[in-house]
Amino acid sequence: MATEKTDVVIVGVGAAGGILAAELAKAGMKVIGLERGPRHNTADFAGLDELRYFQRQDLRPHVKREPVTWRPNRRTRANPLPVLNYGNQAGGGTVHYGAVSWRLHEDDFRVRSQTIERYGTSAIPKDSSLADWPLTYSDLEPFYDRAEYELGVSGKAGNLAGRKIDGGNIFEAPRRRDYPLPPLVADQSGVIFEEGARKLGYHPFSTPRAILSRNYQGRPGCSYCGFCQAFGCHIGAKSSILVTKLPEADATGNFKLLTGTMVYRVNSDNSGRATGVSYRGVDGSDNTIDAELVILAPFIYDNTRLLLLSKSARFPKGLANSSDQVGKHVMAHIGARVFVAFDDRFVNIYMGPSAQKHSLDDFNADNFDHAGQGFIRGAQISVTPADLEGGPIGAALAMNPPPGVPRWGAAYRDFFAKYFARHAALVAQTENLPYADQTIDLDPTVRDRFGLPAPRLTYDWRRPNEVARIEFLLPKLEELGRAMGATHVWRAPSGSGAPGAHHEGGTRMGSDPKTSVVNRYGQSWDVPNLFVVGSSTFPTMSGFNPTLTIQALAYMSADAIVNRYRSKPGPLVS
Amino acid sequence: MSSHDTTRRAFLVRASVVAGSVAGAGLLPDASAQNLDQQQDAPIHATGGGHTFFNAQDAATIAAFTERLMPGAPGKPGARDAAVLNYIDLALSGAYAELQDFYRRGLAQLDAYCRTTYKETFVRLDEARQDAVISALEQGKATGFTWPAAQAFFETVRTHTIEGMFADPVYGGNKDFNGWKLVGFPGGQAVYTPTDLQNKQAFARAPIIGLSGTSKT
Repeated sequence: MATEKTDVVIVGVGAAGGILAAELAKAGMKVIGLERGPRHNTADFAGLDELRYFQRQDLRPHVKREPVTWRPNRRTRANPLPVLNYGNQAGGGTVHYGAVSWRLHEDDFRVRSQTIERYGTSAIPKDSSLADWPLTYSDLEPFYDRAEYELGVSGKAGNLAGRKIDGGNIFEAPRRRDYPLPPLVADQSGVIFEEGARKLGYHPFSTPRAILSRNYQGRPGCSYCGFCQAFGCHIGAKSSILVTKLPEADATGNFKLLTGTMVYRVNSDNSGRATGVSYRGVDGSDNTIDAELVILAPFIYDNTRLLLLSKSARFPKGLANSSDQVGKHVMAHIGARVFVAFDDRFVNIYMGPSAQKHSLDDFNADNFDHAGQGFIRGAQISVTPADLEGGPIGAALAMNPPPGVPRWGAAYRDFFAKYFARHAALVAQTENLPYADQTIDLDPTVRDRFGLPAPRLTYDWRRPNEVARIEFLLPKLEELGRAMGATHVWRAPSGSGAPGAHHEGGTRMGSDPKTSVVNRYGQSWDVPNLFVVGSSTFPTMSGFNPTLTIQALAYMSADAIVNRYRSKPGPLVS
Repeated sequence: MSSHDTTRRAFLVRASVVAGSVAGAGLLPDASAQNLDQQQDAPIHATGGGHTFFNAQDAATIAAFTERLMPGAPGKPGARDAAVLNYIDLALSGAYAELQDFYRRGLAQLDAYCRTTYKETFVRLDEARQDAVISALEQGKATGFTWPAAQAFFETVRTHTIEGMFADPVYGGNKDFNGWKLVGFPGGQAVYTPTDLQNKQAFARAPIIGLSGTSKT
């Protein structure tokens, strides 16, 4: 058993933890980062191997060794999820993600107020815990800007300080300046999507991505290999934390990364302060780090799990949980999907960055009138390969054949042989509302390889508001497919109620200690030297991928810690 | 087999005979020694099953089953052409070892169902009856399955057939890139140019690339 002392300990060195590690270490604080997985480097990703990385999920937690269980409701027994959609290495999910990098809309930060102003209180489902964020878009804009420029994001502005620009996302919130890098080259699917969407009067654009469209900060531009979502980038063109912030943190001499470690408890004393963490080493050893400041930044499952595992006499419901809100209001994206296939051309969608290649925002957030639709909030629509990844294993397993074509045999073989390189998927990534009874807690029976209770999800997205939204969107996707000139257009099955990608919630931020776990900086109301940073603090999720917002929040928290908290430790919001 | 391999095998066989003669005189019957001598030039798998997990009967069943899922035809490589059996066999002795009982019991239930319904094992049925059996599994109508359930067994074999067709050849399937050739996937190309990205035709600029080399055609 080892004990060491440091200024700051960060649990999970991914999208949020990597930024905090670099920024705090640059400010002269001694930082130890703890990471459950290994630390890879760019050369490790030379093998463009769909089976290993996509199908066998080499960069994700192992579903048997680190199980997460799920049940649709409290009346059923939870079973381990067959797939875990988050990272398991230094750099976290940014190593394998599709690098889609959105700023949220202005109204995404005030969903409750916006809905009431435009549609009345009755438009909000009675069982939804819909809430405003305790900060506005303009509060976060400087940190979005920093994230885009420091990490390297490619795109085209659609709203420069209020001036709408055709070719960018005209629905985006106003930005002070354009992206640091021009958009990535559109592939066939993007070109056809652009044409079809314009025919229908929509406003398509190249999806902003944290992938370099040309050389930037000593890293090369994208080679369009297509082994992107689910893969580490083999040339380092994806602006993952692994190739951006971790080298910055290393260069300070103030940062130490401990890989293969599993934090199982945040320690606290009777005065209500966090004193550090306890963790298991790779060799099973039991170790302690004493720290002045504890920052939790793993995937959302482990934020809730760690707080619940860190009960004490003073914190009997779990650490930072006097509000009883830890583990509640969990959200996840669902992708309503339509497949399109072309007899007159190849699409070759396996080429190029694979996730959400080209997009439109006309049906996202409150960008369209929801009056009389029977639901609130929308979805971000884009063109992608069948499963956000372009290889034939992903396509074959994700793309159900159209009606009349069997799933095996000569007819299936001929279908897939003809359309693998001629298909695309249209996906609507929906903004599901928060509900207090969508939760994470500790599974009573299933344990992980460290002997810790598995995180247990109780979640079912099939609420009336969410189902009505899907029913509205699917015909829009089909219409879009036909406008693109597709010969065949057909729907994917809607699947179970299990959570999809991009989880949010569980340690909700707010402006009232009674109804939220942390303040706008991710600082615990109950334990001021404990911060929780990541999508677990999102009060609502938006239809956009969360990572850039996680990163902007991490920059904002780092700024507040360095410039305010360090000189006067205590609550940053009273 | 390369001439080097042949020479090495012959050496090993002779060495074992000599060692047997010296250290355990009388333990190695003359007839066996003679057999070993006769096998010197035989194929290396002549006496073994050639598999890392399946026995001969189960291998034959999986070969037939997967070929019905992805049948080969002239110009259209199928499961046999892609060595899907070899992929699944290697996976079950390695990455998917935890599924060994799933396969053993699934295959036993499959043959039991075939015997009950058609009085023959799966491999001895004609293609139409094999297809009827697979449909019954897919739809959960095949009787007598406890664990794995018929549908679960079907779905797993289907998934592994797709993996064996389209995973990189280093995993033992996708032989000669036959799976990728079937669908027109060029493998792990490190670079696509803007011209490639916007080409409305099939990609043909470079040979197929796998983890251990490129295709010859």
